[in-house]
Amino acid sequence: MNLYEFSYGIIHWLVDLVNHLWYWLGSWLPGGLGDFFDDVGNFAASHSNISVFAIVLEAIIMFVIILVNVLNFIWIDRKFMGRMFDFYGPYYVGYRIGGWLQNLADGMKLFVKEIIVPAKADRFGYLLAPVIFVGSSIAILAAIPLSPKFAILTSPTDTGVPAGVLFAFAMFAIAPFSILVAGWASNNKYTLIGGMRSAAQMMSYEIPLLLCVASVVVLAGGFSFFEVVEAQRTVWFAIPLVIGFVVFIICMFAEVEVQPFDLPEAEAELVEGWTTEYSGMRFGLFMMTSYLRGYCAGALITALFLGGWIGPSFIPGPIWFLIKAYIVFVIVEWARWSLPRVRIDQLLNIGWKRLMPLAIVNLMIAVALKSLGWF
Amino acid sequence: MAEMWINMGPQHPMTHGLWNLRIKVDGETITDAEPEVGYLHRGIEKICENRTYTQILPIADRLCYGASLSWNHLYCRTVEDLMGIEVPERAQYLRVAALEMQRIASHLMWLAAYAADLGMMIGFIYAMRDREIFIDLLQSLTGSRITYNFCRIGGVAHDVPPDFERDSLRACDYMEKKIREYYDLYEGSKVFMMRNVGVGVLTKEDAMNLGVTGPPLRASGVRYDLRKDMPYESYPEIDFQPITHPDGDCYARYCVRMEEMLESCKIIRQALQRMPKGKWRVLAPRNAPIGTGLGRVEDPRGEGMMYVVGDGTDRPYRLKIRSPIFVTVSAAKRMLVGYKVADVVAIMGGLDMCIGEADR
Amino acid sequence: MAGSRRGAPGEGIERAPMKVDGEADERVIRTVIDSFPTTVKDFQKVGAGVLRAKIDRRDLFRACKLLRDRLGFEHISMISAIEYADRFELVYHIACYGSCMLLELITSTPKDDPTVDSVSAIWGGANWQEREAFDLMGIGFNNHPKLERILLPKDFMYHPLRKEYKEGP
Repeated sequence: MNLYEFSYGIIHWLVDLVNHLWYWLGSWLPGGLGDFFDDVGNFAASHSNISVFAIVLEAIIMFVIILVNVLNFIWIDRKFMGRMFDFYGPYYVGYRIGGWLQNLADGMKLFVKEIIVPAKADRFGYLLAPVIFVGSSIAILAAIPLSPKFAILTSPTDTGVPAGVLFAFAMFAIAPFSILVAGWASNNKYTLIGGMRSAAQMMSYEIPLLLCVASVVVLAGGFSFFEVVEAQRTVWFAIPLVIGFVVFIICMFAEVEVQPFDLPEAEAELVEGWTTEYSGMRFGLFMMTSYLRGYCAGALITALFLGGWIGPSFIPGPIWFLIKAYIVFVIVEWARWSLPRVRIDQLLNIGWKRLMPLAIVNLMIAVALKSLGWF
Repeated sequence: MAEMWINMGPQHPMTHGLWNLRIKVDGETITDAEPEVGYLHRGIEKICENRTYTQILPIADRLCYGASLSWNHLYCRTVEDLMGIEVPERAQYLRVAALEMQRIASHLMWLAAYAADLGMMIGFIYAMRDREIFIDLLQSLTGSRITYNFCRIGGVAHDVPPDFERDSLRACDYMEKKIREYYDLYEGSKVFMMRNVGVGVLTKEDAMNLGVTGPPLRASGVRYDLRKDMPYESYPEIDFQPITHPDGDCYARYCVRMEEMLESCKIIRQALQRMPKGKWRVLAPRNAPIGTGLGRVEDPRGEGMMYVVGDGTDRPYRLKIRSPIFVTVSAAKRMLVGYKVADVVAIMGGLDMCIGEADR
Repeated sequence: MAGSRRGAPGEGIERAPMKVDGEADERVIRTVIDSFPTTVKDFQKVGAGVLRAKIDRRDLFRACKLLRDRLGFEHISMISAIEYADRFELVYHIACYGSCMLLELITSTPKDDPTVDSVSAIWGGANWQEREAFDLMGIGFNNHPKLERILLPKDFMYHPLRKEYKEGP
């Protein structure tokens, strides 16, 4: 039973429950009104209506599960950083569960802060940029399935949207645009520099990224996530495409702006980079979306290279997927807190001069493997 | 993008202390630089003209709060030169040991701030953690963690606490092990080397002419260390080497300071082992003779000097303080022009600036 | 340790042995007195390697040029300004790295005309020190590239280190 049927069942049950009450109420009413009630009840129980609400419910379920995982990621990030730095991470809030409730406390704090809009900021751009940034990042979630039975973007025959991978990366790539707008609209020399640096970094690392994705898609034979993961039944793509795996991880570092590639928000120089002028929950949304993109990066690495939801069947598929995503995240964190920051021109050098040739070599390997018929 | 003047500071997370750096950038490259100090000017020289010689002791501490024992000691040396006092041997060795511990603590704080600026938070935490050991040692010796006020005119304030030698030797062993770990952490990181090698080069002639002293001077290849070349206290009897490096870039300054910490461990061991028993303080007269006194020491940041003019009363007629950072910062323009904005952090961080002493 | 080198013999600067012998001192004293026979007086040794001399302020620039070019004094350590009842005194501490010497050169100016020539063309390190002497004591330096206030605000009206400026209420 996949997610759609599950949520369909729930909505159906809910509508039936309400309809019992509704019909009973309607039977008490005089003729014309009672007919109207019956019509409404029938419409509510009709297939098209329930399917719309089922889709909304499954999106909400997926969204909530991913968000809880993002909260977990933030907690792991801070605890792990703490242990690497020889102190405890979050400790007091939620004392018995290791400080997990700190995230909620921080979220509440950000809610009650005063929201200040700079007087000379370009209002439209200033208010629009977080919307685009957050919206596009959440849209990536829609495309990544946790298992064949636990996905949103599926067709009725359970095969998945034919261009799932393409859609996910397209959404990923909208972010530089919103960062530029945010940096410019804040009316601050430093955020402008931060925004431009960030956009330059992200755009120059898109190219090796997409070349690696192209190599995976060549081996898998299709653009859908289901096809990509199914093609990894025999061997995970990280093994024949090991160069691509490494390049992909490094490009993800740059896309998600973690150290060593977090120059746009280098505290030592530009305070907070392009998010300096945002306050309150707007800033909270940026922070959360940063970690959300971190989750998306982990999920994409898992789906494309590490076999997605494939694993011994005593653990269900979605849990495998999440375990692998967590492991990738922990390795990213490990590298993040040990390395200094790379300067902007060295960063662009790495992207163009070192990673792109490697990604091209990787693509050639993939084409060679495919034409040899091994996949 | 046209050339524009950018103000880095006075309120800025990167700048250690309160100063302003105006740089003229063309895109990302710096074409001109102008540091501005004076935000922390407290008028210490004028204050000292109205205080007795003993009252100035804690004030001299607060000149540079990063290496305060060194300034306290410098002031004591200057006034002892004016009054013609000879400090007993035990006090001399004790001063040397405490100064070298202060040097290690100051260099560790530099390392912590430097790593934090470059984005390597782990370096910050490890260096601060190790600095705690030396601060604890100095606390057991003097009673406070940052502004020590340990030296008196004519000696030191009091004798060592019990077990001080044993704890200090243990701390030196620990530090030598840790510095070897730091070498792995920093030099093993390609990113750190990329950001430091070849950045902020200062040639030997420029360094000598512009008055740069201390580790930046030695990192440019000039082998001049006041502890060896015009020695004071009991440094002539202690065997150690001044560290130089021929390159003159940020990496060279980093190397010089790291090895200086190793040398300091050696000096502490020798000083504590050779310390004789005896008096640790000689009482100084209240009124100073008419004349002048000069003190010149190797501060962790460079060459510190003080010049006092006595007029027969118990207050100095004039106390002039030479701060190494004041002159080194004026050489910033030579080191910054031609590099990128992101290098400002590395270059100015490598100079180990403490604005308290620059502004007085 | 990767990359760092201890000072090997012969590296760095040509140097005299650590303990300053009388020869280097004598050479310096002879050269300076021979070049400025009338305006230099009161040579004395005040410590190991520390010499002191007085010089007239008109010859200061030429004397400093001689010190740097011929005698190898590459480093100006400190420029102090002191106000006495009848004159201003400027004390220049100039160091020689090669022979580990420090020369204390004292000039004085009359009270009503506290100007001297600037030596920042000879040693770049004198630049900010002279600005500080101007800022706090009000001594003018001729030919200084940028003689402005450095430690106090630009519109401050007094020179605080003068004896007539009283501290506190």
